[in-house]
Amino acid sequence: MEIKDFKKISDVLWEIPKSFRSDMLVPARVYATEKMLNDMFRDRSLGQLVNVAVLPGIVKHAMVMPDAHEGYGFPIGGVAATEYPDGVISPGGIGYDINCGVRLLKSELNLDEIKPRLNELAHDMNREIPSGVGRGGRLKLNAAQIDQVLKKGVKWMIQEGYGENDDKNYIESGGALENADPNAVTDHAKKRGRDQLGTMGAGNHFVEIDVIDKVFEEEIAKAFGLYENQIVVLIHTGSRGLGHQIATDHIRVMMNVMPKYGIKLPDNELACAPLSSPEGQNYFNAMAAGANFAWSNRQMITHGVRRSWENTLGTSGGHLKILYDVAHNMAKIEEHEIDGKKKKLIIHRKGATRAFGPGHPEITEEYRDVGQPVLIPGSMGTASYVLAGTTGAMEESFGSCCHGAGRMMSRHAAKRQVQGRDLFKELERKGIHIEAGSMRGLAEEAPLAYKDVDEVCDVVDRAGIAKKSG
Amino acid sequence: MRSHKILGHIADVRLKVEGDSLEELFTAALEGMTDIIKNKICNADEFPVEEKIEVKSSNATNLLIDFLSEILTHSHIDHNVFCKIEFEELTENSLKANIQGIKVDGFDEDIKAVTYHEANVVKNEKGNYETVIVFDI
Repeated sequence: MEIKDFKKISDVLWEIPKSFRSDMLVPARVYATEKMLNDMFRDRSLGQLVNVAVLPGIVKHAMVMPDAHEGYGFPIGGVAATEYPDGVISPGGIGYDINCGVRLLKSELNLDEIKPRLNELAHDMNREIPSGVGRGGRLKLNAAQIDQVLKKGVKWMIQEGYGENDDKNYIESGGALENADPNAVTDHAKKRGRDQLGTMGAGNHFVEIDVIDKVFEEEIAKAFGLYENQIVVLIHTGSRGLGHQIATDHIRVMMNVMPKYGIKLPDNELACAPLSSPEGQNYFNAMAAGANFAWSNRQMITHGVRRSWENTLGTSGGHLKILYDVAHNMAKIEEHEIDGKKKKLIIHRKGATRAFGPGHPEITEEYRDVGQPVLIPGSMGTASYVLAGTTGAMEESFGSCCHGAGRMMSRHAAKRQVQGRDLFKELERKGIHIEAGSMRGLAEEAPLAYKDVDEVCDVVDRAGIAKKSG
Repeated sequence: MRSHKILGHIADVRLKVEGDSLEELFTAALEGMTDIIKNKICNADEFPVEEKIEVKSSNATNLLIDFLSEILTHSHIDHNVFCKIEFEELTENSLKANIQGIKVDGFDEDIKAVTYHEANVVKNEKGNYETVIVFDI
């Protein structure tokens, strides 16, 4: 594959036709500048995108966002829709970290008000919210409780006192997918998750205190309740070991049953089954349970952040309210227009975020006029973005856009170039205080290991599939 | 003879393993995975934790990945890591073994999953079994 195989649709959108390879069922599209597209040839993300275009039941086009990098089966940043109900569902199109996602909390404080207490607050949050590997949370769930979390998600968490009743209105899907089935989740997975609620995990997961540096669109920012100099808290984590085990269990099942459905694929990690099959249904219902666990995890972390806020700042800290919570590893059944007709589809988003445009009934009422909030975390020391979903996304990308900056350097290479201790000091000099599980882990997450988030968000804005708000 | 070596990967960890028999290959893979989870732990003098493991798969490649997945699950649940294997049975489709390991207090790296990505057990020009294994971290 070479760049000449791509047709340029615009400065930020490219297409490889289905004639490129005989087994492709649809074309494949890339949201990227020419430079970004050239950079994508460094790993296997484009080859993986072409493989996605082979999935039985796939419609319109497979696509990848500007933060793309190599994944398992699907590239990270991949989006694909298959026909409901007999098109396939592929766990590789969701990822091992089911419902890895982002939540943003809005405070009532500005930077000047919080600055003198920032380090103290970060320290208390680090104490409240376990991070790093192999560390459990405060809440140890018994078998009955874990089933409640898997079935009811955030609703159960609120019922148990870990949130406010209003919280669920500001979470994608209300923080719980209805089809979740705890019986579709193995005991192994439940055991991996039983002490992990309220934990961040490692790698690029974080809880971060940010300041709104710039508002791009006043009307959207106002609807979202955001303003310049406002302090916000960003949470990035997923379903922890429970979700990873669900994915592992079901990928193994699907690999073994593909011959039964006459499915042959170029990559084992694209293993799939028709959604309407017992295996497809089982995975989808287990995935939903994993998603509910992830939302519950972010809810428990929110509870921890609110406790730290109060412990450190008292009543002068004011209230922390959820702006929104988005998933970026998920499959959803959604209605989209194909050739002028509304069709029910199975939307796979792996390292890609739902970005519903203005007027969509699933958007929280107070945001409906401006579009769904889309939360894009940058790496440490760089900006993060709040975007809004657009009509363009509904027309072009199954209501989807990017999820973050995307890695472009291996962890090994990052550790060779950066010493964790030096990075820590450099960030401190810039006014960014870090509480990290390990210096080695910090080096692996150095900003130079990631693509430029400004460029990534610029591309989706220019492509019309999301709008920068702040 | 067996060996394991970490190779580069954009986001996760890629391990190359080699062994002059299937037993040696599987043992190298286990040692490599454990070394990622807890660096140098397999240099310990004693491995007091013992468990039985039984796995069936459609071919040797899938068997290796499924074997490592099973061990990874146990590691996450019980915080034990494993370094030694005594095989009762090992074919291309089936494995029965006793594994020995040690309890640890935290991991160096959080392996989410053992993927099938790039895994392909083949014999190389030296006549040894080899494969790459990619771990999602």
